[in-house]
Amino acid sequence: MNVITNNNIKCTIALAALQNVVDPEIGLNIVDLGLIYQIDFDEANSKIYVAMTLTTQFCPMGESITGAVKRVLENTFTGMEVQLELTFDPPWSQEMISEEGQKYLNQ
Amino acid sequence: MFITNNNDNLVKNTSHKVVLPFYLYAAISFLVATILLFFSSSAFTQHYFHPKTLAITHIMALGWGTMMILGASHQLVPVLIEGRLYSIKLAYSSFVLAAVGIPLLVYGFYFFNMGWPAQWGAILINAAILAYLSNLAFSMAKSKKENVHAVFVLTAALWLLLTTLVGLLQVCNFSDTILPNDSLHYLPLHAHIGMIGWFLLLVMGVGSRLIPMFLISKYSNTKLLWVIYALINGGLLTFIIFFLYFPKTSFYFIPVAAILFAIALFGYYCYSSFKQRIRRQVDEQIKISLLSVIMMLLPVILLFIIIGWLLVNTVNTQLVLVYGFVVFFGWITAMIFGMTFKTLPFIVWNKVYHLQAGLGKTPNPKDLFSSRIFNAMGIAYLLGFVLFIIGIYNADNFILKFATAFLVLAALLYNWNVIKILLHKSTKL
Repeated sequence: MNVITNNNIKCTIALAALQNVVDPEIGLNIVDLGLIYQIDFDEANSKIYVAMTLTTQFCPMGESITGAVKRVLENTFTGMEVQLELTFDPPWSQEMISEEGQKYLNQ
Repeated sequence: MFITNNNDNLVKNTSHKVVLPFYLYAAISFLVATILLFFSSSAFTQHYFHPKTLAITHIMALGWGTMMILGASHQLVPVLIEGRLYSIKLAYSSFVLAAVGIPLLVYGFYFFNMGWPAQWGAILINAAILAYLSNLAFSMAKSKKENVHAVFVLTAALWLLLTTLVGLLQVCNFSDTILPNDSLHYLPLHAHIGMIGWFLLLVMGVGSRLIPMFLISKYSNTKLLWVIYALINGGLLTFIIFFLYFPKTSFYFIPVAAILFAIALFGYYCYSSFKQRIRRQVDEQIKISLLSVIMMLLPVILLFIIIGWLLVNTVNTQLVLVYGFVVFFGWITAMIFGMTFKTLPFIVWNKVYHLQAGLGKTPNPKDLFSSRIFNAMGIAYLLGFVLFIIGIYNADNFILKFATAFLVLAALLYNWNVIKILLHKSTKL
């Protein structure tokens, strides 16, 4: 798992849920695309912090993708609030795509 | 904890309510243009300064090409300038003014009534372009970043305004002598400022951002884009100076060579993006868009032939007609076919599914239209396009009529798919 986290078990559950969020242009889920950088759980304040990126800073589907990330995590971890930070530092690159993702794109 | 702490990086999409009327208007204009072409095909066996030819050319250039690009441009401006569109009201104004002005102008040409219908049509179109240009300029001024793509688009809009201003003067020149020469004399100036300054510059500015984005390519070459920008604008300015002050036929090879070089460099840019793409599969819409880049070369080659012919003969009317047809029904139409089915499904998908994304399986944007209708449209269009050129060259009305039947079919199939996308309803999750 390349994603930085403070809770490996919950992060695995979160990533499994986020595999349902697909970039509609590419047809690949955002986890395999390598868009998720960090997921931290703040149990005391019932918050989930997510740092993620987009394939391009000008992605017209950005609002749709970030909205979906929030919805999926809030549905998976009921009662927790999601705080999402969009970053382009470091920028997304091809190397961030998982092995499964590479296979899919090379089809 | 995190590297940055804001969501301002998100591109703010322009509302679909602003963009979709432009797409619908363009689709209907294309159908009307092909129907008029069917009933007026014999005009293409005569001189190019024919009322019906002028009417069809203006529906294609304004109703089809420009309205589609204005629509897509309102959607893409936030992507290009990395900021919001300045004003929705200005966007609506540009649509309403152009939507009323274009039919008036076309009516004026078709029935050769260059009085109030054509004059008011031209005035309203100029007002529409002014609204668009102001919106673009204010959006860019408010944006934090400037980039080469946005400069391409803004410069193209300035050329468009100059095109429509020259057009307005030409229209008024029919009733009152306000220009030193007759309106026909200024046709090459009006046409080339529009084709090169507006269409070519804009397509390259937008295409240079979208093609790598849709191919998910890591290729980027800002320096090359600036060279292309200088070549196109330099070539066009040179042409205008030659046309107005040194109208010697052989001089025109210089600006045409500059434009040809710019197109070759843009072709190289697209090829490099294609070679460095991450996604191996390339969809049909991107293939057509890339094909339209190659099709840019055809009119330039024809222009070389026309200028070469002019050195030894008088104007070859058929060659000029083929040239105009190749620009509007060839390059621009192929480019719009690709652009429509790449951008429109996304706009509608965002409208219908943006609140459902992640909650279950949603269709892909490309599933919003029928690929079978798209392929059938492509075949009908190619047949009509090739046959029409043969018809013009042989001045054969039967072939022209036969060709236009295919073009009407292509327009019907295009409209069918566009309406299918526009009427798409959410599938149950």
